[in-house]
Amino acid sequence: MKKRLFLILIVLCTAIASVWAQQRSISGTVKSKEDGLEMPGVSVYVKGTQNGTITDAEGKYQIRIAGNEKTLVFSFIGMATKEIEIGSATIINVELEPENLKVDEVVVTALGIQRDKKTLTYSSQQVSGEEMMKARDINFMGSLSGKTAGLEIRKSTSGAGGSTRTVLRGSKSVNSVSDPLYVIDGIPMVNNKGGQSGMWGGTDEGDGLSQINPDDIESISVLKGATAAVLYGSAGANGVIIINTKKGKEGKTSVTFNSANTFENIISTPNLQFSYGSVGGAAESWSTTKGDYASDYVKDFFETGYNLENSIAVSSGNNKQTTYFSYGNTSSGGVIPNNSYQKHNITFKQSAKLLNDKITLTSNVMLASETTHNRNTGGYYLNPLTGLYLFPRDRDFADYKTNYQYFDTDRNMYLQNWFTSADNQSNPYWLINKQPKEDLTKRVIASLNLEYQIAAHLKFQARGSYDYAIKSYEQKFYAGGNTVNISTNGRWAYKKYTDKQAYTDGIFTYDNRFGKISLTAVAGASYQESVFGDGVSVDNGTNALLYPNEFYFQNLPSNVQVQSIYGGKIIKEGLFGSVQLGYKDMLFLDLSGRNDWSSTLALTGNESYFYPSFGVSGIVSQMVQLPEFISFAKLRASNSTVNNEVPWGLIQVNNTINSSGGVDRNTRAPFTDAKPEKLVTWETGADVRFLNGRLGVDFTYYHITSTNQALSKTLSGGEQDDYYTSAYFNAGKITNDGVEIVVTANPVDAKNFKWNTNLNFSKNTNKVVELYPGDNSKYIDLGSSEGYYARVYSGGAIGDMYGIKFRRNETGQIILDETSGKPLKTSSDDLQYLGNLEPNFSLGWNNNFDYKRFSLGFLVNAKIGGKCFSQTESMLDGYGVSKRTADARDKGYVSINAIKGTTAVTQIDPQTYYSAVGGRNGIAEAYVYDRTNIRLSQVSLSYNFDVKELGLPIQNASFSLIGNNLLFLYKKAPFDPELSMSTDLNSQSLDNFNVPATRTYGFNLKITF
Amino acid sequence: MKKILYLFFAAFLMNSCTNGFEEANVNPYEISDESLTQDFNHIGSFYPSLLSNIFGHQIEENLVAESYCDYMAPPSPFAGGVNNTTYYITWNTYWDRIYNNLMAPASQVIDIAEEGGYDVFVAWAKLIRILGMSRLTTYHGPVIYTTYGQTNSSYDSEETLYNAFFADLDEIQAVFAANEDYAGMKKFDASYSGDITNWEKLVNSMRLKLAIRISKVAPALAKAQGEKAIADPAGLIVSNDDNFNISLYGSDLYLSIICFQWNDTRMSAGMESFLVGLKDPRISKYFQPATNASLYADHPAYPYKGIRNGAYLVAKDDHTAFSMINSSFESITERPYMTASEVYFDLAEAALRGWEGAGDAQTNYEAGVRASFAQWGASGVDAYLADDTSKPIDYNDPVYSGTINDFTSRSTVTVKWNDADSNELKLEKIITQKWIAGFTNPNEPWADFRRTGYPKLPTVYKNDSNSDWGIIPANEWIKRMPFVNSERTSNPAGVAAAVATMKGGDLISTRLWWDTGNSNF
Repeated sequence: MKKRLFLILIVLCTAIASVWAQQRSISGTVKSKEDGLEMPGVSVYVKGTQNGTITDAEGKYQIRIAGNEKTLVFSFIGMATKEIEIGSATIINVELEPENLKVDEVVVTALGIQRDKKTLTYSSQQVSGEEMMKARDINFMGSLSGKTAGLEIRKSTSGAGGSTRTVLRGSKSVNSVSDPLYVIDGIPMVNNKGGQSGMWGGTDEGDGLSQINPDDIESISVLKGATAAVLYGSAGANGVIIINTKKGKEGKTSVTFNSANTFENIISTPNLQFSYGSVGGAAESWSTTKGDYASDYVKDFFETGYNLENSIAVSSGNNKQTTYFSYGNTSSGGVIPNNSYQKHNITFKQSAKLLNDKITLTSNVMLASETTHNRNTGGYYLNPLTGLYLFPRDRDFADYKTNYQYFDTDRNMYLQNWFTSADNQSNPYWLINKQPKEDLTKRVIASLNLEYQIAAHLKFQARGSYDYAIKSYEQKFYAGGNTVNISTNGRWAYKKYTDKQAYTDGIFTYDNRFGKISLTAVAGASYQESVFGDGVSVDNGTNALLYPNEFYFQNLPSNVQVQSIYGGKIIKEGLFGSVQLGYKDMLFLDLSGRNDWSSTLALTGNESYFYPSFGVSGIVSQMVQLPEFISFAKLRASNSTVNNEVPWGLIQVNNTINSSGGVDRNTRAPFTDAKPEKLVTWETGADVRFLNGRLGVDFTYYHITSTNQALSKTLSGGEQDDYYTSAYFNAGKITNDGVEIVVTANPVDAKNFKWNTNLNFSKNTNKVVELYPGDNSKYIDLGSSEGYYARVYSGGAIGDMYGIKFRRNETGQIILDETSGKPLKTSSDDLQYLGNLEPNFSLGWNNNFDYKRFSLGFLVNAKIGGKCFSQTESMLDGYGVSKRTADARDKGYVSINAIKGTTAVTQIDPQTYYSAVGGRNGIAEAYVYDRTNIRLSQVSLSYNFDVKELGLPIQNASFSLIGNNLLFLYKKAPFDPELSMSTDLNSQSLDNFNVPATRTYGFNLKITF
Repeated sequence: MKKILYLFFAAFLMNSCTNGFEEANVNPYEISDESLTQDFNHIGSFYPSLLSNIFGHQIEENLVAESYCDYMAPPSPFAGGVNNTTYYITWNTYWDRIYNNLMAPASQVIDIAEEGGYDVFVAWAKLIRILGMSRLTTYHGPVIYTTYGQTNSSYDSEETLYNAFFADLDEIQAVFAANEDYAGMKKFDASYSGDITNWEKLVNSMRLKLAIRISKVAPALAKAQGEKAIADPAGLIVSNDDNFNISLYGSDLYLSIICFQWNDTRMSAGMESFLVGLKDPRISKYFQPATNASLYADHPAYPYKGIRNGAYLVAKDDHTAFSMINSSFESITERPYMTASEVYFDLAEAALRGWEGAGDAQTNYEAGVRASFAQWGASGVDAYLADDTSKPIDYNDPVYSGTINDFTSRSTVTVKWNDADSNELKLEKIITQKWIAGFTNPNEPWADFRRTGYPKLPTVYKNDSNSDWGIIPANEWIKRMPFVNSERTSNPAGVAAAVATMKGGDLISTRLWWDTGNSNF
């Protein structure tokens, strides 16, 4: 072994010495292989140096090289880069091939291991950074929607920096959000979600994704099944999203400047009326006398938002080392006044080759700083939109806008000026001015990666990373705010905590070929230690501060606890191995296994658990003769098991010190017999490409069974054995069945005009087969919100929604109360099924047209089927401010098929009807909508400047016009069902005074020097 | 090469599964039983939390007992104006508070105390369980008490339950009596600073309270227990100094939060009718004047206005100018559970029922009123007790036109005792005064109202009861709370067995055991 190494070294040294120094000139022509035409603007450079040039209009180039320089590199956007050994030639002519015909696509898989896509035994999809950022969605994960099959993305309505809910292949658990694992360059990333808003207010506290500089992203690989994820262990049970970041490239130093500037407007407000006012000073607008009242104040409240994203990236390198540096700056202003967001990102990535290139050392440091002011809120409480929409029409809003505060002579200070003290509304302008909220995140992710080519076929890789974030959330509520939530001296809500995660792994890779057999073997170990949410929190709520409007610890009353908070500490250790065998490059077998040790299962005897996976794939087109129009065909099948640790903090339970100075005794049973959750995935699929790859179809079917979930059970008085009031136990069975179809096509491929299109179809069927063994009447409420219950029974599905319906007789007539004449409700004790919140299927249709230097892209997203629910509409009806209620008053009645006593009723008084059906705790059935929506999600039109022609001293320049979420082609719901009040498991597709959906439009300029 | 591999894995394996796994599960900001043993906090430190969960909050007390006994009423048309207060059950959560925050932890604490031989703490926790459970049973009827925590736990019929309460009070009193010098409770006892003789008085007063509660349905048992309470050498709570108050432990009184911060509760119309009508000086101690003079134009000398319970309400703001509770409630630090006045009124009723040792009914009645005046710092008790003309007034809701929410007082009771009155009228006076004196502690007054029909409170204006939870006739009142949904779904057989011991279905119209519906004597 050592001997061979030594020999290689000597040979290398001699070779280098013999060709030292001496300069000479090489020239040639670069043509396109497709059409034989000369290619101008092709970059030609000597590998590993900064010595380079560009072909002229005739495709000709000339370059001087030193005698020891051996390889020329030819590259052009959209073409496969070609490397040519120089040897002794003086003329080198080259033909370049378009890149998209390539079948041998390399994808990044688990732990950063690069593999030929054709060898994969499971489904994965890759989206380039360029494609991702084409339309500059400010929450970049949102732009993946429709570009990969099987991925459901919902954004919160909290604006820039807000969180995203991403689910691959359906919800697999009733006690966690089924978020996939995010991985940056092979290393798991912390993506902790902060608090979410609910119907009683609160704010989305963001997640970890927004801290990434989207311009650093080279590509994103989506490993959908657990099969793909087995090497990451349990964290990858819900799929893995791998973010590959850019690195320095060998060759010329390049500087890329990108500037994206978009503007943002709400698409629409709810349909409101402005013709009927209130009676006798009521908060509701139930007058039946028509008037003409001011209406502009609603739309005037919303502003035009902006998102300015500027980034600069410097890349340089030679064959010994590469460097990538970037700085990104994002500045946004939301559509709600005083909502703004600033972000700075710095990335520094350096890679060096040592020890005769046998060791590659890569270090990467990513710094992010985010500041959000007044992030949008949801729910009834302290939300400016409740007061804005519900305002009685006959009152003067303009006055409340200007004078949102008044000087109170009794207290010698300014207080809120609003016409009602109701809990669910405040002066909108008071809220946006006198309740400043600031969220800060500072984060550093530092990693070091060492690759050591031990021998020709054996490589060792060791990685370590440390991810550290400090987050703080602070809101100052001035005295005079709504007394249901704010003390008479104001309220201070402050929270600050750190998230940290250390990760390290070591992996051996052996790669060899024995005749017809190829072998890749991987063995490794990983260690991960995370401490989340460790910090301090205080909120005086309605306990009066000592002095008004002073927001710091000294001003807290003695009955308010300053709390140390803790999200948990988890240690995970893993040993894993995988073997891939290939036969004649057409039949592949994957076997892998992993053993995890998880600290959350300590003391249970189940902390060590093993799980295997296997898969096969065969390239049929190489095995048998297929018709000529089939250029490639592959079949694949795999099975994997992933065991998932239980959540933190279930085993050891202790008592808490309460604000009264006493101790609350723990009454939750320690989960000492916990077992890991288990996910078994079967997946089979086919990848077929026709007509030289111009049409491709990838089909996948999967079946995922999750069992042994850690379910929590509240024990009622009759079940409190051993004096425990709640307990966890392993049970439940949830299945997800689904189909994913990806069609890629290149229908037009002429010299000046190209059309690439891509269709992503996914359908997932979720079923809760069993929850509590032997008890089908038990259910789990995943979230409830006055009339809306996200509830699952065994036999149901995650996303099932329950609520109150109209009480009807056998013939379907609505029963009216015999005295009040109001529609009767079904019993509050017997909630009715209202529908499921997930779409039946999703479609994304992405297109790209290239005409000469123009490029036009658009993406259409469709979510078909499913239901959604609007508490906003219910409230608007209850307050008589929806357009509906005015139309009904114009007409004089609401049509109804009802019965009162024994008398059939066909018309009902609008106020009687809407005040019973709408409002809080109305009849939910009336506010359930079809969630089907089809939208033009993204449009971009870009022009690539002919920098040569223009004589600009730059390499590249492009300008694009971009738009996001531009218009709905079809939508029945009065709000955008893809936006959520919360990105948790509850409150999905629920509208409770959410900020309306917005469209963004603007331009992007990219210049590379 | 192999060696490196081997070493690598060996090093890893040796390291794994050992380092810090157990500690990782420990929340560093929680206190363990082990740490609590320092200064002997491992038993005593739980008592403040147990005691503070005896009372309920808005949806457990304010919108249940406090509304049904007509102390306070909401201005807010909660849940579209159809809710508990209009007899459509919307909130029913007191059960969970009592079991989850009192029974479960108290029972655990009893186990720890027994193990350590802390007999007094065992007795104390058992007494606290009775303090809570004796309230909960007035909501539902049968509850799980004697077999609580056992694998085959079952509901006790009310008869079994009260017998169990009395037996347990015997046991508790025996321990207290044998340990009167014990000083271990001092640090944890905010009510009596660890003075066990005070707790003995509470035990006797509780026994008397429960005896009075069952006096109609089980007169012999009630008499025996009542007389036992009266005869016990430790005595009863007959001085305001001995009142059993539970500390708020730094928190605000729930009622104060609901009234001042949320604007969700106001003086009830029933309180206005009685306090204004009887010219009761305590009115200014309980309430604040309404903020708009036009509201009390019908009795400007008493500038107070209440809201009818079960009212027809359009918008919350319509009634928020009505009388709030007195602002002094914002700064109180404890609330009464058992007062001398209540004990006197119980003794007055006991006297009417001929229980030995109860003394004279009039003396007890007047002592009860005096104790209440003293407790609330009100003056003019002599004139009050001598008033035989003032009567409860009729009520008008000035916000809504016509007769909406209005009522004519059913009661013509006066304050002055008249020995010539019938026992029935005497009882009406006693219970009416017990009701007024019990303000902020609505549990027993609601039970008294159901048991005796006094005071003669108005019905609800808006009755939304229907077959879902039981129908309350127009001239009747709610009789109980249904069993909670969690029990109905998780323990249907247990609930069915409990219902079988009741006088009707699991409905709000079914009378509890001690609510016989028969005459009072």
